[in-house]
Amino acid sequence: MGMASMSSGSESLRLCVFDLRRGQNEGQELDKILFFYPPDQTFSTQLSVIGLSEGLITFTRLFSPEAACEVIEAERHSHVFYEAEPDIWMVMVVEKNKEIEAIWRVDALQRILKEVHSLFVMFHGSIRALLEKEPTGGLTRSHLYPFITDYLNDLFVGKKLQLPSFRETLKERGTVQMLTLARDAAIEVQSLVGVLDSCAGTVRCHSMILFHDLLVSTTLSPDDTVDVFTYSVMRLTRNAISSGTSSWSYLRKGSTLSQISSRSSSPQLLGSSDPSLPSGNGNNAGRVIRPLQHDKWSKGTDGFLVTDIWGRDATPTILLQQTQERVYLLTYQYKNLTLVLLVPDNAIVNGELDISFVKHQVIENASAKILKVEEKITKGWGGENAYHVSGYRYLIVDTDMEVSRASPPGKVATLAKETLLAQNKLRETVDTEKSRTKEEKDMEISIRAKNNAWVMARLTRGKELYMALEKASETLLDATDSVQSFSHKYCSGVFSMD
Amino acid sequence: MMTSDLSSSPSSSGTEFADPNPSTDPETNSERVQSQLESMNLSEPSEVSDGSHTDYSGGDDDDENAGAVEVALSNGNEGGVSNGCVAGTSVEEEIEGGEASSRAEYPVEMEAGEEPPSPTSSGYDGERGSSGGATSTYKADDASEDEIREANVDGDTASQHEAAWLPGKRHVDEDDASISWRKRKKHFFILSNSGKPIYSRYGDEHKLAGFSATLQAIISFVENGGDRVNLVKAGKHQVVFLVKGPIYLVCISCTDETYEYLRGQLDLLYGQMILILTKSIDRCFEKNAKFDMTPLLGGTEAVFSSLVHSFSWNPATFLHAYTCLPLPFGSRQATGTVLQDVCASGVLFALVMCRHKVVSLAGAQKASLHPDDLLLLSNFVMSSESFRTSESFSPICLPRYNPQAFLHAYVHFFDDDTYVMLLTTRSDAFYHLKDCRIRIEAVLLKSNVLSSIQRSIAEGGMRVEDLPIDRLLRQKPNQGQAGHESPRDVSVGTGGPFGLWHFMYRSIYLDQYISSEFSPPVTSHRQQKSLYRAYQKLYASMHENGLGPHKTQYRRDENYTLLCWVTPDFELYAAFDPLADKAMAIKICNQVCQRVKDVENEVFLQGASPFSW
Repeated sequence: MGMASMSSGSESLRLCVFDLRRGQNEGQELDKILFFYPPDQTFSTQLSVIGLSEGLITFTRLFSPEAACEVIEAERHSHVFYEAEPDIWMVMVVEKNKEIEAIWRVDALQRILKEVHSLFVMFHGSIRALLEKEPTGGLTRSHLYPFITDYLNDLFVGKKLQLPSFRETLKERGTVQMLTLARDAAIEVQSLVGVLDSCAGTVRCHSMILFHDLLVSTTLSPDDTVDVFTYSVMRLTRNAISSGTSSWSYLRKGSTLSQISSRSSSPQLLGSSDPSLPSGNGNNAGRVIRPLQHDKWSKGTDGFLVTDIWGRDATPTILLQQTQERVYLLTYQYKNLTLVLLVPDNAIVNGELDISFVKHQVIENASAKILKVEEKITKGWGGENAYHVSGYRYLIVDTDMEVSRASPPGKVATLAKETLLAQNKLRETVDTEKSRTKEEKDMEISIRAKNNAWVMARLTRGKELYMALEKASETLLDATDSVQSFSHKYCSGVFSMD
Repeated sequence: MMTSDLSSSPSSSGTEFADPNPSTDPETNSERVQSQLESMNLSEPSEVSDGSHTDYSGGDDDDENAGAVEVALSNGNEGGVSNGCVAGTSVEEEIEGGEASSRAEYPVEMEAGEEPPSPTSSGYDGERGSSGGATSTYKADDASEDEIREANVDGDTASQHEAAWLPGKRHVDEDDASISWRKRKKHFFILSNSGKPIYSRYGDEHKLAGFSATLQAIISFVENGGDRVNLVKAGKHQVVFLVKGPIYLVCISCTDETYEYLRGQLDLLYGQMILILTKSIDRCFEKNAKFDMTPLLGGTEAVFSSLVHSFSWNPATFLHAYTCLPLPFGSRQATGTVLQDVCASGVLFALVMCRHKVVSLAGAQKASLHPDDLLLLSNFVMSSESFRTSESFSPICLPRYNPQAFLHAYVHFFDDDTYVMLLTTRSDAFYHLKDCRIRIEAVLLKSNVLSSIQRSIAEGGMRVEDLPIDRLLRQKPNQGQAGHESPRDVSVGTGGPFGLWHFMYRSIYLDQYISSEFSPPVTSHRQQKSLYRAYQKLYASMHENGLGPHKTQYRRDENYTLLCWVTPDFELYAAFDPLADKAMAIKICNQVCQRVKDVENEVFLQGASPFSW
């Protein structure tokens, strides 16, 4: 009966989803497994990962009833926990390997789990709701398998899974990256948003506008904005559709080629280990919808994006977190401008007929404004390195608004490995400090690393600044001054300490 | 009173279990964890539960009849320095046996005064000298030889809530089913790889057999998968594991300490055990996996509890350096000379100590003593009553020096504080060592060393208030007081110059550190512990594995401004007022370093045999 090896072969990642309320009787343990990656692992391996996780969740609750197990750090693996919904846990087991630079921040890994879960909920509703709808779990499994597998495919570069390592320490997953607008462009955008809002007649629509992979405007709540933004950058923006284009967003990794190669294996991965794949998923289509499938979106002749993911000529719907309402997702693209229109389903009575009416309204009423906005933004657009500040490598996070801005990845890549590692550790320290208190932390840490680089963190009123400076001659006071002037110039003094 | 969750567990079924704090949540029973691991058929927890659960008859009035739950309010929390375990609740429960009147002296003793309701002060009394009348209140306790203590000295509530730290084990009536036990802020466990409990900081080891088996199951479950578990994090809790051959050590803590330091604490705990037993215990486990080690450690609870206590007050536990009692150069020199003579006569190590501080030490040629060994050795001697009553000759092991072999330690106390330790490899050396001690004592008396020591204890160590302020700095306009006042006047009640509250200086070459006395406003025990925890974090972050040491660190939060400076020669850790001016703080740090260099002949042991290892 031996215990299945936790480190068989070259598996660098395991990811599972399980429900603590299921399979509590002996012999029914398999019932709790809702998802396991890689799916070709034996059941005993799957159960061993889940058994350990479950054991430690119970164990830690003895001492910490309010917050159960978040991470297990072992010599060779990190097990990262996330309780996605009450009693529904996602656990990611990643192999530590210094040679391939597999050095992470637990919080960054946890954000992956959070991201995939909130995207899942956006399309399919909560896992618990699916389980209640169909208590055998078959329906849930048949949705989770393709969804998470498609999501993971985005993290592959070639055959290698690339998790957010220390090299991405100056990035923040689960936040939105914004475009800064000039005043005149902002006015144009405002007026375009007004038009989009009223495209479905009396029922107010939500909208989100992106330029390249940056957010221009949104009328959604911050949480919903993050989800829709994430999906847009993954699949809808111009860069995402023509996926050969490299992106500076961490949301899309490798080239098309590698995605195909990793995807080619996915059909047999999907649901293969679930014998009870049910037909029918409540969408009448008789098949499982895979919103994260690659290369399924393209631009139609009318400028709206089309896909057959939801079936031929079917318009996708998503669930908004804040209002719990289902909305239709329409995407219009003009050059690098992507407009996401979210139409409440009570505005759509006659199905596709009403949809085409809304589309018509957009083209009719907004086209001219879209043209103008695109022109204004393009004129003021500084390119990929628009937010580079010479001499600085930085990340600014507004945790309340879930917005971040960072030095362009190409510039961050010029930092020495030691600097990035030190910055990564510093972020870990800050993560720990933040997790210990519910109040907003006000703190400042500046470290001069062995290689003389300064890595710094400043937290104040829900805003965070991380910065790396590699000028060797600087003293603590010089480094402080640098932060100070950066804060005054680019952050309206938020991080200034005087 | 029966608790259903307990009776459901195999080991205690049919056992009448009188639990003063019955678990309200049957889901959170440690037995369940095991069953979860077991249900996967993947681990084989040892059969530790057979009969090892103590039968708890209902007639135990300590726990049942008088088992009222005393609620100690801890809302005297001081701002940001609270280490509150349960967020949002300022209530800690404490079982108070009504009949146990002896315990009434320290009714509030959650983690040995860890969360007394009011700020407390602690330290070796006397040694703090004039730094506060607080500790002198407890001078009377000297009779009972409590060297290490904590005393509540909050002006308002001191009379109601007094908690003195006493060595030894507490809360033996608890086990893993007690809510109070689960809420202890820091647990330490030592167990064997078959799951047999060896030591638990709280609760009776035998009653914790089931829990111990759970810990063993977790460790071996991961081990069977070809890995080794180091840390589990859950909210504010960290569970830290350390495997040393057949011995498993586990810490479960919600104190705000780093993983690195908690692991270091387990390492020291293991070292303390080795110091008492040597590593040859491994062989006992090789012969018999179910070997019960507890009898071997019988009577040493005080040693372990005092070590655990030192984790929150003794910087040596994380700096891995030792500290000397400040003494005139001549006194230390005289002591060192006679110690060296003694070593030349076949003694391996000769030390004169004052409590945990070194007066002088010497080693035989090529023999060097690791600061951790020194820490464990002095802890062992200081926490064992028997050493004080007569000269002793006792086998000990220095884990860093040679974990396999016993040495023999001759210990003699000259007075309440000062003692000599002579270590030898020869088991028949008692009379020789006694002669050596007589020689040493003669020199100490002749050179008035013992009285210098007493004077030093009374005067205390360096104080931030005494730092000479550079004339230039003093004239800075932002320091309101004019230059005619002495620096000490400038800073009354606010620590040292320009918001300096405290510092520690570690000489890398000497393996020694000097730490300033606590000054206002860092006066209560809670504040001091909080400052040490801040230092520990700073230390851990400066010495990050694979990255460090970093060169400089500046850290400011709502409690402190901390500055750390690491050079090839020394490390400086300084704590300032959170509002301290950065530029000024840097200047003050430079002055502290200068000041330490000025007095290094008095505060450090110089020219001892080189301390390499």
